[in-house]
Amino acid sequence: MKYQSQAVALPYFVAAIGLFVGQILFGLVMGLQYVVGDFLFPEIPFNVARMVHTNLLIVWLLFGFMGAAYYLVPEESETELYCPRLAQALFWVFLAAGALTILGYLLVDYATLAKYTGNDVLATMGREFLEQPLLTKIGIVVVALAFLFNITMTVLKGRKTSITVVLLLGLWGLAIFFLFSFYNPTNLVLDKFYWWWVVHLWVEGVWELIMAALLAFVLIKVTGVDREVIDKWLYVIIALALVTGIIGTGHHYYWIGAPGYWQWWGSIFSALEPIPFFAMTVFAFNMVNRRRREHPNKAAVLWALGTGVMAFLGAGVWGFLHTLAPVNYYTHGSQITAAHGHMAFYGAYVMVVITIISYAMPILRGRACNSRKAQVLEMWSFWLMTIAMVFITLFLTAAGILQVWLQRISDSPMPFMAVQGQVSLFYWLREISGVIFLIGLIAYLVSFFVKDGDKPATT
Amino acid sequence: MSHASHAIADRRSTLLWLALLAATALTWAIGEGHASGPAIAALLLAVAMAKGTVVILDFMALARAPLLWRIALLGWLALVCALIGLAYWKGMP
Amino acid sequence: MHAAKHTLSPSLPAEPRLAGDLAIWIFILAELLAFGLFFAAYAFARAHDPALFAAEQEALNRNAGAINTALLLTASYFVVRAVHAAEAGRGRQGARWLLAALGCAGGFVVIKLAEYAAAFDAGISLSSSTFHMFYLSLTFFHFMHVLLGMVILGALWLNARRGRYGPRDMNGIETGAAYWHMVDLVWLVLFPLVYVIR
Repeated sequence: MKYQSQAVALPYFVAAIGLFVGQILFGLVMGLQYVVGDFLFPEIPFNVARMVHTNLLIVWLLFGFMGAAYYLVPEESETELYCPRLAQALFWVFLAAGALTILGYLLVDYATLAKYTGNDVLATMGREFLEQPLLTKIGIVVVALAFLFNITMTVLKGRKTSITVVLLLGLWGLAIFFLFSFYNPTNLVLDKFYWWWVVHLWVEGVWELIMAALLAFVLIKVTGVDREVIDKWLYVIIALALVTGIIGTGHHYYWIGAPGYWQWWGSIFSALEPIPFFAMTVFAFNMVNRRRREHPNKAAVLWALGTGVMAFLGAGVWGFLHTLAPVNYYTHGSQITAAHGHMAFYGAYVMVVITIISYAMPILRGRACNSRKAQVLEMWSFWLMTIAMVFITLFLTAAGILQVWLQRISDSPMPFMAVQGQVSLFYWLREISGVIFLIGLIAYLVSFFVKDGDKPATT
Repeated sequence: MSHASHAIADRRSTLLWLALLAATALTWAIGEGHASGPAIAALLLAVAMAKGTVVILDFMALARAPLLWRIALLGWLALVCALIGLAYWKGMP
Repeated sequence: MHAAKHTLSPSLPAEPRLAGDLAIWIFILAELLAFGLFFAAYAFARAHDPALFAAEQEALNRNAGAINTALLLTASYFVVRAVHAAEAGRGRQGARWLLAALGCAGGFVVIKLAEYAAAFDAGISLSSSTFHMFYLSLTFFHFMHVLLGMVILGALWLNARRGRYGPRDMNGIETGAAYWHMVDLVWLVLFPLVYVIR
């Protein structure tokens, strides 16, 4: 660790991993509810499990991004963090807000939660992924602004690199686009527009900048390739990500009451969205092939390469599968969307956060890399989780194709619930894959505690 | 590069520029003459391809670039024109 | 082109080399892919209703389109001259060529805006017909590229005036030039496709 204040990243990473475990457990509960409808009913109904599963994902990724920024920015800026105490305080605020929100979801019914948290003052609840009570939303904004203040001041007083510039752009964009979650026009079409401006412009816009910056940072560290080369790639990737991502939002406007030309604009530009992900994959492999040193942290290199490949497959290829308007006309909101969502989030954002944790955690714990034994276990967890996710995606895709066929294309379309019965075999297979994913995650947790005579791996 | 070879390169670009302007005039004249039909469409596409090839090879200096890049750009031009031609043919009564 | 190599062995061609930065060429490929998709979409949408496309295409101002083609080609030619000047060690003189190119690009913008004004006066919008949707979308997408190209040419001009380009410092000017030529190249297909072929 080059700067003392980088240490504030540690609790953020720990919290991220902890909430990740929670997310997977609720995912398994929900996966089972697909086939055993009354499992855990009425304690944890399906809609609550789903809300907790998706909200935990977002919260733990935000923890990961914040931790990554606190770790990365001092090192890139070559100066201590502007105010480490603020970062420590914000951690507890954010953790408490997150925990209270999840408890609120689980212990109180949603309407009561809305009543007690001021939803009648400013109605912001009830929209998918943005279900958080008003107080939580305000908390997120306060934490994000204080965090951005801290990070931006650090960058301003130190060295400016393309990595910190891109990271800041992404983080500020993340905060600014979240503001649209406070605006709920009664016009349903407008409402959907603003909803997508948060959801889409996050994951297919500014988050990609954060991802590219984190990936570039780790690649510089583990390959020793010249900063100049990496900078150039970084700028091309963000230009591509922004152009395709921003206009590509149009692929959500097809059926929400927006003008018809969005079917053309959305189809053409979102069809190009795989390109920045492809560029990232080429970038990652190119850098590792040109490496000037053998970094002893093999696990971090594996995660970095895995991010490139899985993000391209999940976000790029699986997104492209159903992005064209004539295809989406049939597949909209089917299990194909779920397949894409799972692999894209895992490949792009889960893996990039684990990449930076894998690189930074040993250093935060006072060593260049973990012991050989710990790394081997971590690499096992990589393969278990990644392969399990590939199978989850494949089974959901199969379920989706069958669903679309039976429910929407066939000459005698079946009703929704009847079709759900027909595809239950795939849901069972998906649940088994989910259990394997959990095993991989447990292996990942254990890898933090493996002792091997405390001898770090050497090349 | 010697002074003379610079002058040659300049003169070459000037001639190509004039040729490109002439080709543009041809396209414009066909448009104003309201000519239509597959032969005219093919001619217009051929003119566009010729102009594009000049820009790619000479102006973008891809004539001196690695083969793969030349193929990529010329291939893009050929593919786009071929698709336009195919669509035109599909739309004929 | 490496000057030294040429004088030593005029008969041998120089080592194959991409003029400009690799990153800009990757970007150009992506841009071309976007335009290519858009062109193909136009062509196949037209195939569904050639009569409507022909009727509305007839109403476009082909004179404006042709003059704009000439302006872009001329700007491209001026950029080539600026690159040649820098190669010959006359970078400052190249600045004047770049300024002339900027002038042509400005002319394109003015004419295009006049065309848009006339179209909007006639009640044409993105939703008025499939042809108009494509006409406005394609030309506007290209228009944004012209504006970006002008920003790049402006930066090249400032640098050239300061004498930043010469036989040994070609990367910057070649990179900017490549982008501008791409803007020109795309229009060379767009003009016949949208304005003329029927």
